[in-house]
Amino acid sequence: MSRRLLHSVPSDDPLFNRVLSTLDIAVFERDEHSGEFQLQGMAPEWWRMRVGLESCAVLDLEQWSPFLREYLALDQPARIAEPVIIEKSGPWAESDRQGGAMTLEATILSMESRTVLLIERLGPGFEQMRSIVQRARERMLAEDVAVKSHHKTETRLIGQLEASERTKDDALALLQHLRLAALVLDERGRITFVSHRGLELLGVSTGEVIGREWEEIIPFHLQDRAIFREMIDAPSDRRTAGPFYIDSSHPAWIELDIHRDPRHPGRQILVMHDRTELHALRRVLNEQASFHDLVGKSPAMVRVYQLVRDVASVDTTVLIEGETGTGKELVARAIHSSSGRRSKSFIAANCAGLTDSILTSQLFGHRRGAFTGAVNDQQGLFEAAEGGTLFLDEIGDIPPPVQTALLRVLQEKEITRLGESRPRKVDVRVLAATHHNLSEDVVRGSFRADLLYRIRIARIQLPPLRERREDIPLLAHSFLMTICAASGKTIDRLNPETLHRLMSYVWPGNVRELRSAIEFAVISCKGAEVAPSDLPPEVTGISAAPTPSHWIPLQERDEKTRLLAALSDAKGNRTEAAKRLGVSRATFYRRLVELDIHPR
Amino acid sequence: MIQKKICMLGGFAVGKTSLVRRFVTNVFSDHYQTTIGVTVEKKTVAIKDHDVMLMLWDLYGEDEFQHVRDSYLRGSSAYILVMDGTRKVTLDTALALQQTAARTLGTVPFVSIINKADLQSEWEIDDGAIEQLRARGWTVLFGSAKLGQGVEELFLSVATQIMHGSPLPTERL
Repeated sequence: MSRRLLHSVPSDDPLFNRVLSTLDIAVFERDEHSGEFQLQGMAPEWWRMRVGLESCAVLDLEQWSPFLREYLALDQPARIAEPVIIEKSGPWAESDRQGGAMTLEATILSMESRTVLLIERLGPGFEQMRSIVQRARERMLAEDVAVKSHHKTETRLIGQLEASERTKDDALALLQHLRLAALVLDERGRITFVSHRGLELLGVSTGEVIGREWEEIIPFHLQDRAIFREMIDAPSDRRTAGPFYIDSSHPAWIELDIHRDPRHPGRQILVMHDRTELHALRRVLNEQASFHDLVGKSPAMVRVYQLVRDVASVDTTVLIEGETGTGKELVARAIHSSSGRRSKSFIAANCAGLTDSILTSQLFGHRRGAFTGAVNDQQGLFEAAEGGTLFLDEIGDIPPPVQTALLRVLQEKEITRLGESRPRKVDVRVLAATHHNLSEDVVRGSFRADLLYRIRIARIQLPPLRERREDIPLLAHSFLMTICAASGKTIDRLNPETLHRLMSYVWPGNVRELRSAIEFAVISCKGAEVAPSDLPPEVTGISAAPTPSHWIPLQERDEKTRLLAALSDAKGNRTEAAKRLGVSRATFYRRLVELDIHPR
Repeated sequence: MIQKKICMLGGFAVGKTSLVRRFVTNVFSDHYQTTIGVTVEKKTVAIKDHDVMLMLWDLYGEDEFQHVRDSYLRGSSAYILVMDGTRKVTLDTALALQQTAARTLGTVPFVSIINKADLQSEWEIDDGAIEQLRARGWTVLFGSAKLGQGVEELFLSVATQIMHGSPLPTERL
């Protein structure tokens, strides 16, 4: 073959060598006898550099990568069998003699029984292709990293979202579980969230409230609304407000915690605390300790409060009985305030010490010229109290002619002004009070029995203070606070000894006297605590001990009251009562008879 | 001396060249240089008092640009399937290459390695997938050409299987 090839294309043929040199390819032909590959024509420069000039003529496979040996050995019988074969090895890496690397590719041309081997050093074209593949793979790797990064970010975000949703769900579940009434307002005061309990409290459904302004939804009273508006506009992060009355389908008393959303300062989080039960309990407690302006929680006073509530709900005449200073007018006012007439007038008239004409004129009014000095028509108290309540204090002191007129008013519900003949219809509720025993007055003939029965349809008897001593601390403290507030003094308590003195005193003037004593003490007091020395002398000098009473010299006191008090303190023992008053037993008995006192 | 041809097979950029270089020259480069064609490296190892020259045929990575020629596999005494733990797709490539190799070579020993153990926190190939490979009868090793972890064990395991048909004890990294 080589001979024939040489015959056809001589190795020293300049054209043949120029072609090989231009192609930069080493060409070998396989010798069919020895099986060696012999160089044909001029070896390219890279080949000579790799193997040396002396080894150029024959291909020494030991100098080359096993890749070439395997390539040449592979399927040799098959190549021989085929008439024409052109087969490329594919690129492989070889080291050069300088320690560098080069990439080669071999091609076998097999025609009939002749085999030619071409070995080409892959140059710029191959490097360009390698560079393209390299870039493509790098791009794929970068895309893979980017996809992973996106996926990771997506996973993280989804995780965060899920965690956030879980937290939100947990918070909501907790909110619902705790039955916390919460509400969120946006920057414009519109509701963006309400918990179930909040909806219940407001008596609304979610659809009705979301997106609406709080003023449309939360049924505050006008005054509370203004307070609440100020509260939400206040700059502090947390505010507490209330109690407010919610006038919803389920009326409630609420207290509010208002928090600024730390992430969105314009948003407000409202937590509503239902204080309805607490408010009701507090009211019951307060009512037990006081009722309108009446103070006291003794069983006797609690009974009075209940009676007041009872009579307030009806429109009958009420007789309020009690010693002086026990608070008869306060009871009358409480009845009026608790009744359906509370929005109308309450007029109090003291009937004691007035002549019948003056009292008649006061009560029923007069016509101009009805009597000397009646220069104008004048309406009376009945007309002035139209629709409301007229309180007649000391009714036992009303002269008989007025009793008659009063009876007529109560029966007919009409009055006739003095000097007139035409009766006028009146709608007035009459509450009467007395410290007399009107039954005895009736027996004595000083009070009309029919009038008594007419005014005593309902009856409230007020206990004297000595019969409800447990109320003294409460009353004293209440008076102390009221008087201090009015006087600007800051006295916050009573000395225990002071309280003891107050508890020991008999209080013939009842609550009125106690108030005067506290007023006296406030004026005298120089510190933050009322000392016994601040009290009036009659209080500090007296005690419940069975010694002669120091209040005996106070001649202005009602003697009958003192006698009754002494009897009460001595538990009905007259000798003991006389001893307490510092008088003889005989004198005590005489005064009982004179004052028409019949102790049981 | 006994010479054994071992082909390195796997998807592109799984670390075939890095494993061979780490084994032969104990060198590692972070710079990815794609292999085009074939590079043959040699290293002699001693297996039970026998010196064995391993002819490591580092073939180009299998992908859409280059498919491994059956002819390159011929004459191999064993092959190594390399996967990149951070890319699950390289496991699929390894599965396909294993079928090609089995078809071409018949039953010859092979060992698989999940490379890039230094990035284990980013691995996509999970325990379930690894268990499935082992269930197929694969020897699955873990290694890092970057850290040199598991490299010697990999080649010694293959050489041992070639020489004695039994694998060396292997441990998961």
